[in-house]
Amino acid sequence: MPRGQKSKLRAREKRRQARQAQAKTQTQGLEGAQATAAEKGEFSFSAHLFLEGNPLNEVATEVLSTSQEIPSSTSANIGADSGTDSNEGASKQDEESSKALESFRKDPLNKKVVLLVQFMLKKYQSKEPITKADMLKLVIKKYKLHFNEILRRASEHMELAFGIDVKEVDPTRHSYALVSKLDLTLDGMTNEENLPKTGLLMIVLGVIFMKGNCAPEEAIWEVMNMMGVYADKKHLIYGEPKKVITEDLVQLRYLEYRQVPGSDPPRYELLWGPRAHAETSKMRVLEFLAKIYDTVPSAFPVWYEEALRDEEERALARAAARARIAMTAHSRGMAISSSHNK
Amino acid sequence: MQGSSRRTGTMTDVHRRFLQLLMTHGVLEEWEVKRLQKHCYKVHDSNAPVEKLEDFIHNINSVLESLYIEIKKGVSEDDGRPIYALVNLATTAVSKMASDFAENELDLFRKALELIIDSETGFASSTNILNVVDQLKGKKMRKKEAEQVLQKFVQNKWLIEKEGEFTLHTRAILEMEQHIRETYPDAVKICNICHGLLIQGQSCETCGIRMHLPCVAKYFQSNSEPRCPNCNDYWPHEIPEVFDPEKETGAALSKPNRKSLRPRPH
Repeated sequence: MPRGQKSKLRAREKRRQARQAQAKTQTQGLEGAQATAAEKGEFSFSAHLFLEGNPLNEVATEVLSTSQEIPSSTSANIGADSGTDSNEGASKQDEESSKALESFRKDPLNKKVVLLVQFMLKKYQSKEPITKADMLKLVIKKYKLHFNEILRRASEHMELAFGIDVKEVDPTRHSYALVSKLDLTLDGMTNEENLPKTGLLMIVLGVIFMKGNCAPEEAIWEVMNMMGVYADKKHLIYGEPKKVITEDLVQLRYLEYRQVPGSDPPRYELLWGPRAHAETSKMRVLEFLAKIYDTVPSAFPVWYEEALRDEEERALARAAARARIAMTAHSRGMAISSSHNK
Repeated sequence: MQGSSRRTGTMTDVHRRFLQLLMTHGVLEEWEVKRLQKHCYKVHDSNAPVEKLEDFIHNINSVLESLYIEIKKGVSEDDGRPIYALVNLATTAVSKMASDFAENELDLFRKALELIIDSETGFASSTNILNVVDQLKGKKMRKKEAEQVLQKFVQNKWLIEKEGEFTLHTRAILEMEQHIRETYPDAVKICNICHGLLIQGQSCETCGIRMHLPCVAKYFQSNSEPRCPNCNDYWPHEIPEVFDPEKETGAALSKPNRKSLRPRPH
């Protein structure tokens, strides 16, 4: 969204203030992130909303720099009192783990790791992919050289604590998608609103796949109409199908909706979006379709072959990305540890 | 399994699924949280004994501690029902709201927040909120639009609406308490009993101290002559009942789980 004059001026002011503040304090991480974040749409709202009195900055940096206990409030802070532990062995381990926590917090890189994890969680909930550029600009900033290490640690936390994988979706443009390792379709409790869209989405992805990975909008509606779903009629489960397909799912990056070049009157076509590529595969979509037709993927030999090829490519890309990250992290890790030992 | 799970930092897929689902829902009531926990056990490990909720959450929080994230338990101000939310401690509430709303929408929230904090009852009327619409930062917003944005806040559990008036949702209080206390130190009200942020509550007409409704309920429980803890004057308000989870949720939960309940009148 284009930004107005006032917003830009405010952002510039924030940056200047933040730069001055940066020179003063050691714990620059958070402020820096908030200030430059003012350049990018996302965090700027937080800057306007809450940085004006500056207390947020101080509170936040204070929280991150000391290992103070967060003051408790009306909420009964579960977990704050480890005194309820009757197990002696556990209290010793509590000591050890609080020591580990302190040393974790003191490492300056880990402050960035914390911010990156929170950034990723936000993106996970809004189902947007992340780019390296975004991460550098909004979170990592002056620790640019340590990007791979910070990313590696953050990915580890995401995996261990949340069971969310950070997958590199596009190695050339360095974009990543966040995918749950856990099969959330097993939860009848998932946000009821999203479930119907999943079924609809799979069908649309299937049609696109079958039409050679790019389908004219008319083709989609042909199939939908056969299922009793119409563009101009409100659907009991899917709500407003046209909006879901051409707006909601596009916004969530599952689909790409574009005008057929040179078409007049304008016609539109649909393709898989980056998130669809990251979260599912041609094989999975084919399996879904096969189930609908009560058969197996291999019953569609041409598409089956294409799906197989796609699986192979993905496996290779994953292995390459992992090797790349591991190698650079390793070499960086060596460099850091040797410089720290001095 | 029991022994190892008491040690801090042991997370299994049961905990991870719980965390992901809690994150998706944003905020859950206690009975929903218990049901969610049981569901996660069932999906992964149906034979393992279900850990006590407090320990279960403590386990998760110990892993999240280094990330400045926490599953926080709060109590709703109107009827004392316990709720749980995943709270981001380092950058406070903002991060959650900032990505979902436009600049003028966030400013509307902030204006509503200020009106709520300044109000005597903890509620801001929709009229008063809509009157400040032309002072908002960012793109110009019409009153009709603002009404819809307020509804969006309600749907996303940042505000609660009651008869045309708005107050903070418990989730907002959980997430933003620290920030609110820092930003509006003179205007905020504090509960005399629990010393937490107070938006809705009762106040003593003589000395002016305030208490949350659930705090009043607990403090004056089975006290036939309630008196102000500060000035000892007769407490002039109706004493609410202490929240009883059995009464509320017995009906809501599916029957197979509640065989142990007394038979209920139909």
